[in-house]
Amino acid sequence: MEWVRCFTRNRWAWALVLPPLLFFLAFFVGPLLYLFFVSLHVESQTELYGSRLTLDNYLRVAGDPFYLLIIRRTLTAGLAVSGLSLLIGYPVALTMVRMPASRRSVFLMVLLFPLMVSNVIRAYGWIAILGRRGVVNNLLRDGGLIQAPLPLLYSVETVVVGLLTILLPYMIICLVNALLTVDRTLEEAAQALGAGPLRTFLHVTLPLSTPGIASGLLLVFLLTLSAYVTVQLLGGPQSKMLVGLVYDAVMTFIWPRAAALAFILLGISLGVTTLMLKGLRPQRVQGQG
Amino acid sequence: MTGAFAEADVALRGVTKSFGPVVAVDDLTLEIPRGIFLSLLGPSGCGKTTTLRLIAGFEQPSQGDIFIRGQRVNLVPAYRRDFSMVFQNFALFPHMTVANNVAFGLRMRRLPRDEREARVRETLALVHLAGFEDRYPRQLSGGQQQRVALARAIVVRPAVLLLDEPLGSLDRKLREEMQVELRQLQQEIGITTVFVTHDQEEALTLSDRVAIMNGGKIEQIATPRELYERPATDFVANFLGVSNIFDGRVAGRDGEDALITIGPIQVRVPWEAGLEMGGPIRVAVRPEKIRLGPHDEKEGLPARVRHVIYLGATTHFYLEGPEGQSLVVHVQNISPDTAPWTPGDEVSCHLEPKSVFVLRKG
Amino acid sequence: MRKESWALRMVDLLALLIILGPIAIVMLVSFSPSDFFAFPPRGLSLRWFREFFNLPSMRGAYLLSLEVALAASILATVLGTLASLFLARRRGAVVGVLNALFLSPLVFPTIIIGVALLLFFRRVGMPILPGLILAHVLIGTPYCIRSVLTSLQAFDVSLEEAGQSLGASPVRTFFLITLPLIRPGLLCGWLFAFIVSFGELNTALFLTGPGVTTLPIEIFAYLQFQGSQLVIAAASTLQICLIIVLVLTIERLVGLSSIVR
Repeated sequence: MEWVRCFTRNRWAWALVLPPLLFFLAFFVGPLLYLFFVSLHVESQTELYGSRLTLDNYLRVAGDPFYLLIIRRTLTAGLAVSGLSLLIGYPVALTMVRMPASRRSVFLMVLLFPLMVSNVIRAYGWIAILGRRGVVNNLLRDGGLIQAPLPLLYSVETVVVGLLTILLPYMIICLVNALLTVDRTLEEAAQALGAGPLRTFLHVTLPLSTPGIASGLLLVFLLTLSAYVTVQLLGGPQSKMLVGLVYDAVMTFIWPRAAALAFILLGISLGVTTLMLKGLRPQRVQGQG
Repeated sequence: MTGAFAEADVALRGVTKSFGPVVAVDDLTLEIPRGIFLSLLGPSGCGKTTTLRLIAGFEQPSQGDIFIRGQRVNLVPAYRRDFSMVFQNFALFPHMTVANNVAFGLRMRRLPRDEREARVRETLALVHLAGFEDRYPRQLSGGQQQRVALARAIVVRPAVLLLDEPLGSLDRKLREEMQVELRQLQQEIGITTVFVTHDQEEALTLSDRVAIMNGGKIEQIATPRELYERPATDFVANFLGVSNIFDGRVAGRDGEDALITIGPIQVRVPWEAGLEMGGPIRVAVRPEKIRLGPHDEKEGLPARVRHVIYLGATTHFYLEGPEGQSLVVHVQNISPDTAPWTPGDEVSCHLEPKSVFVLRKG
Repeated sequence: MRKESWALRMVDLLALLIILGPIAIVMLVSFSPSDFFAFPPRGLSLRWFREFFNLPSMRGAYLLSLEVALAASILATVLGTLASLFLARRRGAVVGVLNALFLSPLVFPTIIIGVALLLFFRRVGMPILPGLILAHVLIGTPYCIRSVLTSLQAFDVSLEEAGQSLGASPVRTFFLITLPLIRPGLLCGWLFAFIVSFGELNTALFLTGPGVTTLPIEIFAYLQFQGSQLVIAAASTLQICLIIVLVLTIERLVGLSSIVR
């Protein structure tokens, strides 16, 4: 009768998880699989996709220098944003970790608040600052320093700055979480053994914060890949990135091509994720490496 | 432990519980008659808490049957079994008042409100917490929380009351007070109680019967006195108090007694089946049952004093026996010169007759 | 040593400036009485807010965003709580896989979710509004799971056993004992799902349509096709105010420990 009891107890558990599981299968896993399925077909004028199978949609991208340029630009921008957010975010995280917990909570609130403001608004903020009739240009004009407004928007650099300011809080939060788990006594032990503050940081704190660095870099990079609105508004047509190509392809409703581009984007995400995790090996610190 | 099965309030038959490769409870059979206060005592990991949880229904036995009031309850889920439980951390519902905590079980049993309130008041008075109805658990001291947990458990008048080291988190003085109160309450109400503890004194103070557990098995169940005076196994003898162990030989039989030689002396133990004439036998004596006297060639076991520890009411002597064995003797300090020996002295140990018991393996 | 902490302080300030600066500028601009931004501001005016409420497209978008956020956050909370109950109590390889699955929308490129759902909804003929709500449920559920799971993991299981020992069935135990005590986590998760849905862009880009537009999409369209108009600033300020109110509510109800992750 053992199995009867096993089943009855488990029945509760499965009743609990079935609704969310079915939901995720139906509206997440399912559609993604369908999208992949479509990417392997030829296109069709009348239907969503044609009936023949092909790898053309992918191969076409791999062979096209235009696409490759865009991909290169996207990767560069992603790495720039991640790297800069790490450089700026790490000192901030260090400061926050040294604060008393109550003060730190306030700062976390301050960091979380902008994350809840829609990206379009935050991008608009930069337009208001850098646009032709924006703050910077107005100040320069009023000050008599220039005659015509400077075209500060619509470049890859602007996109990088904009994304950096939008995604920096994510990096800081990841780092703070990781640094909080670094046992203070380890740092003290290092100092007792004669290591000054800089060497303690380099040899103890920094390595132990690797999981946080890894998760921060990853998160920021992935979010950069997916940031359509910011790239559109701050980069304009001359700074198109992979995500923009995906959008354009979808708007043509040539589904197989759009699907392939989407999965190329996904593939790049997975590829970079794997590389980053292999390179940084955060599991060493977490005790499994 | 005797008692016809039908009279037992709680019975376990051949119950085994494994967690993967670990066997927590090993082929356990136990019967608890109505109204008895039974303690499950043993070192951590011995299976006492698991046994309690098996009775409660929070664990399912891998093998064997569990009965409450004669009804097999293996397939009955915990919330339908007729028991209640006091937890080690009290488990009071923090979002409910004391009254609502205590009334919870009555609510589940669909008692009408007037009756509920009356019983709650009555039970709170019983545990000396009248007037505390509207307080919240966080406003109470440890002892008070303990009493609320108890009230909550007994107000429903269950067949069995289970307690899982409920006094563990209280300080010593409070614990002793609560022990007395708990015992009085249990006797007043007459409820069958199973109490889990690792504290020997607590078990001995509170219980009608104590079951000493080790490695998932029951080493011995008996009254506190029997367990102490006549421990059945090595483990029990060493777990409850201290024992002086001797390896002797069966020298002869005299009526009901067996004659055992230990070194130069001879002692008597009750004869039991299986004793071989001339065969080896292990016996033991409690430290307070040895009388020390000045060195005597003809009587007593010779020993040399190694350490003396003065404890106020008693003095503990650590001695070395004739074959190098370590002996412990506790002497009551009746008068200042009761036990004047110092380390290095030669003395004679006189074992109280009828105080020697036989040890079985285990 | 002093020089080092001075440098650290500068970086901190820089970070705060670049993170909060753009948002502050938007809010300032929305009160500008004229068509462009002047510094120092030449007075305050509510002109653009009036303009916002006069535009049916803006009003409609704001209301729709509220509706969608409300519906999606409630559904996300229900699904998230169910999932959390399972994940908190069970062990095994399956739990690890399901945990990863349920939390993956957090790191998965949401733009691809939008594309996949658009195709899928086209194929099965899903109407626009429900489709959008479902997408936001998908995106909001991980936030609910994180929040409720944290609450559940801090929850003392012996309280549930105590309930059962007193005769409460698992269902009653959940509603009478567990639920009241994890309510902060639930509320926190719900608020997050609401806020995220309100400001969400990447799936709304694809899943909105004629007559069914969310506020962020409306703002985006305005910016793309009509250039920078200060009515956008007013719309933005309204959303920011909503966020501030809600964030303060979270703080009041729950405190921050459950949010940090």
